[in-house]
Amino acid sequence: MINTVRNTVLSVLNKNNYGYLSPSDFNLFSKQAQMDIFESYFYQYNYQINKENKRSSGTGYADITKGLEEVIDEFSKTDYLRYSNANKFFLPSATTTGEDYYLINKILAYQTFRVNGTITSVSANQLVDLTATFTATVAIGDVVVNTTTYSSAEVTAIVSDTVLSLDGDIFTSLPGDYSIFSSVQNEAERVGHSKITMLNSSPFTAPSEIFPVYTEESGAASIFPKKMKNDGQVLAQYIRYPKEPKWTYIVLANGEPAFDASQSDYQDFELPLDDEVTLVTKILQYAGISIREASVSQFANGEEQKENQTQA
Amino acid sequence: MAYISQYEYYENGGANPENENWGSYQYVTLKDIVNNFMLMYAGNHSLINNEERYKVLFHAKRGVQELNYDAFKEIKALELNVSDLLRFVLPPDYVNWVRISLYKDGVLRPLTENIQATSSDAYLQDNSYRILFDIDGNVLKPEFSFLDTDRIAGTKKSIYLGDGAYNGKDGYNIDGAWYFDYSIGARYGLNTETANSNPTFRIDKKSGVINFSSSMAGELCVLEYVSDGMENGDESSISVNKMFEEFIYAYIRYSILNSKLGVQEYVVNRAKKDKSSLLRNAKIRISNIHPGRLLMNMRGQNKIIK
Repeated sequence: MINTVRNTVLSVLNKNNYGYLSPSDFNLFSKQAQMDIFESYFYQYNYQINKENKRSSGTGYADITKGLEEVIDEFSKTDYLRYSNANKFFLPSATTTGEDYYLINKILAYQTFRVNGTITSVSANQLVDLTATFTATVAIGDVVVNTTTYSSAEVTAIVSDTVLSLDGDIFTSLPGDYSIFSSVQNEAERVGHSKITMLNSSPFTAPSEIFPVYTEESGAASIFPKKMKNDGQVLAQYIRYPKEPKWTYIVLANGEPAFDASQSDYQDFELPLDDEVTLVTKILQYAGISIREASVSQFANGEEQKENQTQA
Repeated sequence: MAYISQYEYYENGGANPENENWGSYQYVTLKDIVNNFMLMYAGNHSLINNEERYKVLFHAKRGVQELNYDAFKEIKALELNVSDLLRFVLPPDYVNWVRISLYKDGVLRPLTENIQATSSDAYLQDNSYRILFDIDGNVLKPEFSFLDTDRIAGTKKSIYLGDGAYNGKDGYNIDGAWYFDYSIGARYGLNTETANSNPTFRIDKKSGVINFSSSMAGELCVLEYVSDGMENGDESSISVNKMFEEFIYAYIRYSILNSKLGVQEYVVNRAKKDKSSLLRNAKIRISNIHPGRLLMNMRGQNKIIK
């Protein structure tokens, strides 16, 4: 989609000799435009929910909310949170899970910790730890988390005290640390710092393994009860930011850049096709401001307003 | 909670304890109650929205407590030997008593409560009757008051209601044997509070003990009591009989709507009526009134009352 968007933007700009948009500027404006549209999905979603509550929204093909949910869910990701210290786990970021989060939708925690350790050898679809006593501590159906790669699998058989059969090949190299938990997961509720002290001090509301809670601070989530502090015990389902769009090219002999999607840093827009018009108009707005051509901006604003009116 | 296989039900899947799941189908767990409520009664298109789960959990627990006080017929029983100090420490989940009995000679004998003071605190005093204090300004107390000492030692008089010439006389019960002063004059009337050949008791709620009269030393006492259903804080064990499941949802709904800003009064009233009628229905259901049971009770109608 990124190439057609660029071509459209360039042709609108060139139509009246408004100027030329370089690939690097296009990429910058594309990122900005995509982020604008991405954020607007959440406001649109809220707007549609309010419409539903007022009974002015339909079902079937008229179910706008469903479409919005589908777009947002495209950015949904579930990852194990990396353990920090005490009861703290790092929230998703480029350095931990590989991607920054826009919002944390839910945090899940395994209810019961069984055992942890380090594998002593590698075997396909197996966990081998010669120092373990699995028969006394692990049950079939438990979840094994490789806390080196943060992948997980389910225990399908307890072969011996030291070997477990898994339904996935999650230990492919040494070293490999692991944690094992019962498969029961509970959702942790986000609470504010103004509440957590009082919550902890009341027997009625004190967080438990069944009803855990968390607070956020400085890029980390603190899980309560504090005994939920094992690496691999906490997962987050979150909405990540869209990837930065990148129109990649090769330079032809005459210096003209030609689109090349085969380059390693190529990245298309992650929004659905029906957002193409909005992307073009938004990029035109930025380009108009950039080349100080008020009429380009006005044209783009007019187009956007028309589209908004149609959607409302 | 997911449905379990019959093997898991009867034998806990081969694990210990075997009876873990017996009767579990009658109950719905706290976790299920909160999850179901959040799914079915809270959300974008519901009366309750943007409400924290811990509030739902709080009201669910309060609802379970209320049911345990009077609606559930789940009476716990604890048997303990009464020590020489004539006291029975209340169990950790005790909220209120139903019946206290002496178990002797294979017979359970319900005891009567003595509402007269049988135990008290005491302050140490000097010979001018002035109260004595320690260096921190706290009043000094003996281990037992004279009232307690006499009760424990059996030197507090009570009425003998056994057979023989001393029936109705004041006497001392020491280690189960009765001793009497010289009988002078006659005794008229009877203190009906304690007119029972069995020992009497009085519950000291603040101290967390049941104090007995002297003849209870070394005897087996069975305490039947109600708890609040909080299972000593083990949330995985907190549950509600399915007869009350709908009531619990209604209770949570009402409690939240009642304390929420901007909810119309008719909505609150509807929730309140809903809650009350569901409690009434559940109480009727759980009372198990059916013809077979009534028939058995009615059969006693021609019995001669002596």
